[in-house]
Amino acid sequence: MIATSSSAHTVSPEPGSGPVAPPADIDASCRVPVMVLLACAAVWLVVASVFGLIASLKFHAPNLLADCPWLTYGRVQPAQMNALIYGFAAQAALGIALWMIARLGRTLLVQPGYIVVGALLWNVGVKLGVFGILIGDTTGYEWLEMPGYASPILFAAYAIIGIPALLTFHHRREPMLYVSQWFLLAALFWFPWIYSTANLLLIFFPVRGVLQAVVDWWYVNNLSQIWLGFIGLAAIFYFLPKLTARPLYSNYLAILAFWALALSGGWGGIHSGAPVPAWMPSLSTVFTVLTAIPLIAITINLNRTFTGAMAKLKKSLPLKFVVFGAVAYLLAGALAIVSAFPQFSQITHFTLFTPARTQLFLYGFFATTMFGAIYHVVPLLIQNEWPSARLARAHFALATLGLVFYVGSLSVGGILQGLALNDPEVPFAGALNRALVCFRVGTLGDLLMAAGNVCLASNLGWLLVRCCRACCVPAIMAAVKPQMAEAAR
Amino acid sequence: MNHGPLIFLGVFFALTLSWFGLVFEPQLQLGNAQPTTNLVNAAQLYPQMRPGQARQGLDVYRSLGCAACHSQQIGQTGRTYDVTLTDPGTNRAEVIAALLKVRPRATATEAEKLVAGPMPQAILKDVAHVAATNAMAKLEPTGAKAEVKIIPTGPDIARGWGKRRSVAEDFLFDQPVMLGSQRIGPDLADVGSRLPVANWHLLHLYNPQIVVSKSVMPPYRFLFEKRKIGREPSPDALKLAGNFATEPGCEIVPTDEARQLVAYLLSLRADTVIFETPMTVATANVSTNTPAATNAPAAQTTNSVVK
Amino acid sequence: MNLDPNKSPAQQEPEPTTGSAPAPVWLFVLVALLAFWGMGFLDSHGGGFQPVVYAPYSSIKELEDDQPRSEGKKVLLLGKFVYDEKAKCLACHQPTGLGTPGQYPPLVGSDWVLAKEPGRIIRIVLDGFQGPVTVNGQPFNNVMVPWRDTLTDEEIAAVLTYVRQSWGNNATEVKTEQVKAIREKTAGHSGQYFAVELLKVPENE
Repeated sequence: MIATSSSAHTVSPEPGSGPVAPPADIDASCRVPVMVLLACAAVWLVVASVFGLIASLKFHAPNLLADCPWLTYGRVQPAQMNALIYGFAAQAALGIALWMIARLGRTLLVQPGYIVVGALLWNVGVKLGVFGILIGDTTGYEWLEMPGYASPILFAAYAIIGIPALLTFHHRREPMLYVSQWFLLAALFWFPWIYSTANLLLIFFPVRGVLQAVVDWWYVNNLSQIWLGFIGLAAIFYFLPKLTARPLYSNYLAILAFWALALSGGWGGIHSGAPVPAWMPSLSTVFTVLTAIPLIAITINLNRTFTGAMAKLKKSLPLKFVVFGAVAYLLAGALAIVSAFPQFSQITHFTLFTPARTQLFLYGFFATTMFGAIYHVVPLLIQNEWPSARLARAHFALATLGLVFYVGSLSVGGILQGLALNDPEVPFAGALNRALVCFRVGTLGDLLMAAGNVCLASNLGWLLVRCCRACCVPAIMAAVKPQMAEAAR
Repeated sequence: MNHGPLIFLGVFFALTLSWFGLVFEPQLQLGNAQPTTNLVNAAQLYPQMRPGQARQGLDVYRSLGCAACHSQQIGQTGRTYDVTLTDPGTNRAEVIAALLKVRPRATATEAEKLVAGPMPQAILKDVAHVAATNAMAKLEPTGAKAEVKIIPTGPDIARGWGKRRSVAEDFLFDQPVMLGSQRIGPDLADVGSRLPVANWHLLHLYNPQIVVSKSVMPPYRFLFEKRKIGREPSPDALKLAGNFATEPGCEIVPTDEARQLVAYLLSLRADTVIFETPMTVATANVSTNTPAATNAPAAQTTNSVVK
Repeated sequence: MNLDPNKSPAQQEPEPTTGSAPAPVWLFVLVALLAFWGMGFLDSHGGGFQPVVYAPYSSIKELEDDQPRSEGKKVLLLGKFVYDEKAKCLACHQPTGLGTPGQYPPLVGSDWVLAKEPGRIIRIVLDGFQGPVTVNGQPFNNVMVPWRDTLTDEEIAAVLTYVRQSWGNNATEVKTEQVKAIREKTAGHSGQYFAVELLKVPENE
């Protein structure tokens, strides 16, 4: 596979199988669908933050909202995760992926109208699903809590968005594939397969007993490591060279990372204490350790690409986000490998260390990378700069600081809690108290991240309102004025 | 170069591999699992279906998201063996000689005392499998009778959360399986034998701090109904005293959901000995007041490894 | 406001390009090393890919060593092994002994299985069976293969004892000598038994 792409290719400006579309036209074709996806994503991000804060505050005051069954911790927490994953992450991923596919293929986005319909349908599904969780219809499977009446809607919506995406890829004018396209194409296929498998085997024709947990672990791991991982990596591999104006260090290393990750990334997630036959967690451990290969390949590649671009980092906010995301990815990957060893997971598995790792991956890597992409892409689509650079800078400061607080305190707290849980001499309440102290610092992190998310959403809202005013109001006025004049006459 | 088809095929292959390994193969191995022989009470299969009320309780457990804070999977990191002398037989001198070989540090007087004392007498405690087998090999030819006890070990077991590790068989009839991934609250895999009193659970759900003063669990008051006492107080009403008492003239009565949830909690037990989890059960350790629930057979016998 | 003052005008910004630096050789060495370690890890922690082996046990042998050892239990374990693994009786009669309705007769509560003496069922296991037959009031018409050449006397005795004493069945155990005697007595028998033929065997054999 590596040999086949051995030529030192740069993406050439020559047309491939047809006339190359100018970037301005591509952006124009993406404008409505991608903006719908990104704007909805920003709203869901704020919704997830609110749920997250409620869940977090319950640790400080168990009596808070305790008489409202809708807002009990066991419902708010999955509602937060689902809003974050399906509301924010999936829509941001699809929006940015569509734009990258069109831009890298140098072709117009196919059927933007369908994509808008798909995006709206997706939002209907997520709303219904989160509502279902809050009223107690949760399925009980982690990351798949949305009830059976919401998930088929999501699947249909994905198909409506995914097929135009594939067609756009198919109609590409640029024959040479850039490595981001590999990741994006793989991700496009991966989601429908794992989502349908998990839904069929867990909700519609449930498998028996503990197999449900095995299927769920497989799904969660594939969704995060492969689906979100691939789209996030595609964005990093795209934006890092673009924003630093340097070529990606090595195409081979990127493709090696792609195949190594595709082969080894989908096996993790079964912890060593799980009530399943010994071979399953062992297999999980071995393959998770093997993800060290793609992780090292990505590290070398990004590091070499980035070396010498420090000056650019200081000036470009999108680049800051993307670099932060890349660092978080590598850190999360390293922690995943360490946690795969039974000796380590014996201590950390049931503790707050696990949510710390999840947050580092979902927010530190994925969301942050998407933020970088959003800050770069939205002005191109709308042809208007962000209304407030200060809000954007505040977003970066709040998001990164909040994440560091959250992940730092929870991982330390998790390890302390785990050591205490593993020592039968320490009473259970004592073990939990050690964690709770750290969780309180974590709530501060939650608050900072929520504030950052509000910065993004308000900045985006402001931008959209301004654009509407700039283009819609004159249009309406133009339409209305003659009538008014007529009426006056 | 057009890599499109290559990427598609490669990705298809990679995904199929992990699907085959972690979805299909486990389904082949465990998908048709049936209740297995209960090694303590061979007349009863394990597991038994949970009683109806407990099955409804699983639904309440799922719906309220209890699994966000409670795991239901007990870990086991090892096992140790105890050797106990049950009958010294007639040939005391040889038994003493064998004992001295098994426990080189013991003196002859100690060994004599052991053999003369009331049976059973502990010979070895917390030893590895090899040492236990070795001891049996030395003792048996002397005509003495001894037992090897298998004791599962690990932090969860030491904490009293369970007696052995959780295995797939424990969850055979559950839909959905609520394994959980957090221990913000204690593990519940064996809570039915650890805390077998329904009233305790009702009080705990109404206000956890009544029974666990340092608890950080939120109260689930919405699972209870507060009503005016009619002609007579309801027999089901919670007995609340002191700070926790409700206003005079009112009583707190559990709803059906609360009862179902408690029935489910009481049905959570993982203490049956099956092929996958060998252990020696002492009769005293196993409560017998199960609500015909799941696993625990009414009368327990030991299934110690008699060699 | 522009967040990136030094970025090129939007519409001319070039798409990213790639360099062609080679992947370092040591990375491939690392792949080999990790694969080798992985094999070793699976060998020592994988429990032989057996569905019954859970950590901390690392093989089915270790698990068997810890099973109850009293004589009666040993026979039942051998019987379960024959039923589940060696002869795969469970394929038709199911792990629960309940059979498949309309196809394979149940063993639970069956008059044939619970007969006072096991003479007839020993013959069935030795030389197989050919339907039709009525079990627990339900008609069945199917074929069971002979096990004369595959199972030893001890194994047949064990599996029959297992069947007669599991799932709530409660009949006497089957002795190896009984199987041996009937094996010799019916050495010349050809083909599978029919129900009619078996019913001629005296009940007290």
